[in-house]
Amino acid sequence: MKHLHLLAGLVALLFAALTSADGGAPPSQLADLLGADADADFARALEPREFDFPTDHGPHPEFRNEWWYITGNLDDEEGRRFGFELTIFRFALAASLSESKSEWRTRQVYIAHLAITDVEEQRFFVAQRYSRGALGLAGAQAAPFRVWIDDWSIAGQPDSDAWRLRASDSEFGIDVELRALQPPILNGIDGLSQKSAAPGNASYYYSITRLGTQGTIRVGEREYTVSGLSWLDREWSTSALAADQVGWDWFALQLADGSDLMFYHLRKNDGTRDAASAGTFLSANGKTSHLDAEDVEITVLDTWESPQGGTYPSQWRLTVPRLEIDVTVTPVMSNQELFTTVRYWEGAVDVEGEHDGASTTGRGYVELAGYAQ
Amino acid sequence: MIPATYRASFSYLLRHPWQLALSLIGIAVGVAVIVAVDLANASARKAFLMSMDAITGEATHQVIGGPRGVSESAYARLRVEQGVRMSAPVVEGTISVDGTSLTLLGVDLFAEQDIRSFTREAQPDASAGSGSSSLFTGFLVTPGVAMTSASTAEQLGLTVGDTFEVLADGRTHPAKLLATIPGESSGGLDFLLITDIATAQEWLDQAGWLSRIDVRIEDGDAAALEKLRSALPDGTQLLAAAGRTRSTAEMSKAFMTNLTAMSLLALLVGLFLIFNSVNFSVLQRRNLIGVLRALGLTRRQLLAMILVEAGILGAVASGLGLMLGIALGEQLLELVSRTINDLYFRVSVTSVSIESFSLLKGMVAGIGVALVAAAFPAIEATSYQPRLALTRSSLERRARHILPALTLIGFLTMVAAVLLILISGTSLVAGLAAVFLLILGFALCVPLFVSFASTLTAPLAERLGGTTARMAVAGITSGLSRTGVAIVALAVAVSATIGVSIMVDSFRGSVSTWLEQTLQADVYTGALRGSMDPELIEAIRNLEGVEDVSTRKRAWVEDANGRTQLRVFAMPPESYVGAELLDADPADAWPAWEARDAVFVSEPYAYQNSVGAGDTITLPTDHGPRDFAVAATFQSYDINASGIMMSRKTYARHYLDDTIDSLGLYLASAVEADAIVTQVEELSAGWQRLYVGSNANLQRESLRIFDRTFVITDVLYWLTLGVAFIGILSAMLALQLERAREFATLRALGMTPTQVGGMITAQTGIIGFLSGIASLPLGVVMAYVLIKVINRRAFGWQIDMTVAPDILAVSVAFAVGAALLAGLYPAYRAGQSQPAIAMREE
Repeated sequence: MKHLHLLAGLVALLFAALTSADGGAPPSQLADLLGADADADFARALEPREFDFPTDHGPHPEFRNEWWYITGNLDDEEGRRFGFELTIFRFALAASLSESKSEWRTRQVYIAHLAITDVEEQRFFVAQRYSRGALGLAGAQAAPFRVWIDDWSIAGQPDSDAWRLRASDSEFGIDVELRALQPPILNGIDGLSQKSAAPGNASYYYSITRLGTQGTIRVGEREYTVSGLSWLDREWSTSALAADQVGWDWFALQLADGSDLMFYHLRKNDGTRDAASAGTFLSANGKTSHLDAEDVEITVLDTWESPQGGTYPSQWRLTVPRLEIDVTVTPVMSNQELFTTVRYWEGAVDVEGEHDGASTTGRGYVELAGYAQ
Repeated sequence: MIPATYRASFSYLLRHPWQLALSLIGIAVGVAVIVAVDLANASARKAFLMSMDAITGEATHQVIGGPRGVSESAYARLRVEQGVRMSAPVVEGTISVDGTSLTLLGVDLFAEQDIRSFTREAQPDASAGSGSSSLFTGFLVTPGVAMTSASTAEQLGLTVGDTFEVLADGRTHPAKLLATIPGESSGGLDFLLITDIATAQEWLDQAGWLSRIDVRIEDGDAAALEKLRSALPDGTQLLAAAGRTRSTAEMSKAFMTNLTAMSLLALLVGLFLIFNSVNFSVLQRRNLIGVLRALGLTRRQLLAMILVEAGILGAVASGLGLMLGIALGEQLLELVSRTINDLYFRVSVTSVSIESFSLLKGMVAGIGVALVAAAFPAIEATSYQPRLALTRSSLERRARHILPALTLIGFLTMVAAVLLILISGTSLVAGLAAVFLLILGFALCVPLFVSFASTLTAPLAERLGGTTARMAVAGITSGLSRTGVAIVALAVAVSATIGVSIMVDSFRGSVSTWLEQTLQADVYTGALRGSMDPELIEAIRNLEGVEDVSTRKRAWVEDANGRTQLRVFAMPPESYVGAELLDADPADAWPAWEARDAVFVSEPYAYQNSVGAGDTITLPTDHGPRDFAVAATFQSYDINASGIMMSRKTYARHYLDDTIDSLGLYLASAVEADAIVTQVEELSAGWQRLYVGSNANLQRESLRIFDRTFVITDVLYWLTLGVAFIGILSAMLALQLERAREFATLRALGMTPTQVGGMITAQTGIIGFLSGIASLPLGVVMAYVLIKVINRRAFGWQIDMTVAPDILAVSVAFAVGAALLAGLYPAYRAGQSQPAIAMREE
């Protein structure tokens, strides 16, 4: 669910930007776009399913929304710190399509965001791509695994179980190999992430919380050899939005003791937490536990004013009493705000605190949406 | 002092309102014609450039391919493998909606961002509550949805949400207007239908192919350019967008230059006219001038006075001319744009755009002409001794005295014209300048001719019509300083009609002969646009009574030097006779054309590129540039100097294109062409809309289009004649005024009003006749120059000149008729005048 707002906003605003001078997408249009009426012919996540890898790394075109979300914290040999995010969204405009002689006719749209945080220089780079899923311009496939837009791609390598992630823009770029250090974990109930009581208002959601990462990051003319850990989030659904949700905070934390924590906090317009908020904890020994809205407590410790307007939280105390987690989450730099068709904040963070009575540190990524228009 | 003299001068003009009005009208019409042509040309050009700008957007370069375009997989490779970003695919074609031709632009909205912005301005129907998201979804997912500019939608009578039918590639497709692009952002988008690239491919039957890839490369980024160039697949080329637009616009340059030349002719006739009227007004005021000189007005002051008067007259007339020109421009624009559409490229202009430069040109031309025309009589008038200026006869003596010198200058000017033609190579502008020199030179010789002619005809006139007739004829000579100019103006106008009529007539004759020879098959059929359905071709081939079939395909190929049209034929050897080979033995040329990489070049192509049989040319092919031997030059009257004839087999070796756009059917001898026409019509109905016609039909249709392209020529010449007519009218009125006392004396001597009127009528009739006769040699010579020099230089055509006697006869008759018509009112007035009053006035 967590990125659904983002995707919905993205798609609507992209369409608006591509076709209309009004520039913005009123809520009614969002509802129109993701409304229940249009969904009738799409597949829905109704009950838990058997996940099958590597097939499920590939696309699920019968569902309307899908994304491949990779974030990571990397260092070069001299300890220079970088964060990166590459997200590829798939969005189906319609459940079916009339037959056409033209290869261009498609119902699939792909959108991608690339961001790199250069902590030392306090610089943050963003680029966006979009394309139709046709003619090989953009697409996703399971075997061999590949998801791409133009020359940005995440792709399985021949004779290797690693993936290669490549994306670059004029000012910056990344080219790294990703190797899963853990099998995929299923979020929600066996991978079915229920969003509300309504049947079918759910998604299929899995993550690979630790991907060993090495390769290069380019900033300007300079290339840095980097290594570190990345995180993959995969989700697909035909979910509708809840009208009273105004935004969300998503945390993906990798602790030094080997455990990982993911939690999304869905904010309602009255300031309270939506009951659909949830998360997953993965212990160092590979055991997962589902976290529901009541399990996690979050206190905002600091805020940051975007120069372009809007106030984002910029430090949190996150506690999970049930798991004896009590950590402070601090962005590596304040300004990691993305100015794409949708404005949101997504950045690398540091973690410090206690887990199971022992002090621990960690790194991670946080996404904040709905704080700025 | 000066205000008083000027007042005197103007009050004269005001006391002769007819003369004033006619001079004003004469210049005004002359100025109006050049302004109108200039505005029409400029508007057509501007509209074309604007629409190219809108269509090209921010693209600096374009990747183009062979006849079918660029393979769409090449585009995907460029983006995905080479990371080429600022690029957008385009599928372009011509379609029609309800009989209106539109340019179809198929785009990929995702790629448009970096190239074009107008799709962002699209306005869906607000009342339907459909926002940008459903607009976007509809545009991508639903086949047949389209956008247009708001003004085009209005012209088509469509509102957002309407469904309509599109005729593309001979087939109809359902379409729906999804959104319009509002006026302020739609400059250059008129008559453009914008769809998703998938819809465009579906309609145009171009699956797999793009018309081009638009690319934006930042200024001076040579590395990016080189990288892109090296990544391009074989058979594609990277060309600068501005260069492509320019070379397309260049195609119509010869046509526009010719139009401008014709408009100048109208002004030239206007020049004679104002010369005439200023001359008159000066002559009329010789008393006033004499008095003023005697009162101590210097020559310089007098000259200034006359020139200021002419300048003011010119300015007022030009002002009128500008207004008239704008109105006339609206009318001409339609003709100009239709011709450009017929012959060159699509241009959609709905209204004339007022170019201040065109107006300035018209103003300067009008005032300049007035000043130049006034200069001669002014200098002449001021050169008299005050005493002499008072006498009338001294003027005529003087006028006759300079006749030989005038004629010599005229002769030398004509020689200069011939020399200019000989040394100016292929320059069209120099050719047109020579035509003007010729006219000018000839005009200078006309007075001497008139003098001789009237001296010679005077005795004849007496024998035929008695004293009145003799007096009429003699009056022409004795008033040569005034009548001469009127005769010149009419002669020039009539000779221009003769020249152009002979040219058009010869041209038409040559085209008709050529069509007869070229069209060898009994029945022709083909797709209205695009290519014919292969199965339909097979079905037609199998019709009973069809013995043999020739196929034709017109394909455009392009490189940095411009566009070349390939006419690809597969035909039975019997129809070889259809192509007239000009510089090679058909027995050798045809086998070479069929078997090797040899082509025939059209005559215009040969002229433009200086090639012929035995030479080698390089053409872009789908496998890169290739050399082709020129086996022969063939006669052709195509407007685009770019035609190359290629055999189907040769084409197949070099281009990945097996489409056919038309067929020639050869029938068994007993079969009626019309019967097959009907059968093909029935066969194709509901399959693909084709044109079908018998040989005779096609010839007729071709000639109809031919005639249509000359409508604008006709219009311009009628306008020129109109100016000449006003000239004659004004001259006759002035003459009548001038000779009022003479007529009064005649009346007092007992001539009836009818007799005086008759004499004047006879005189104008003779002036018309002499003008007509004088115009014959110039008309014929002008026709010759137009045919052999101007047309050759403009289009590369070789036309056989034929002089139809009826054109000459009609022209002389016209001259007489125009003169008589112009003389009616003066004759009436002269007859009405009271002898006593008229005599006292003098």
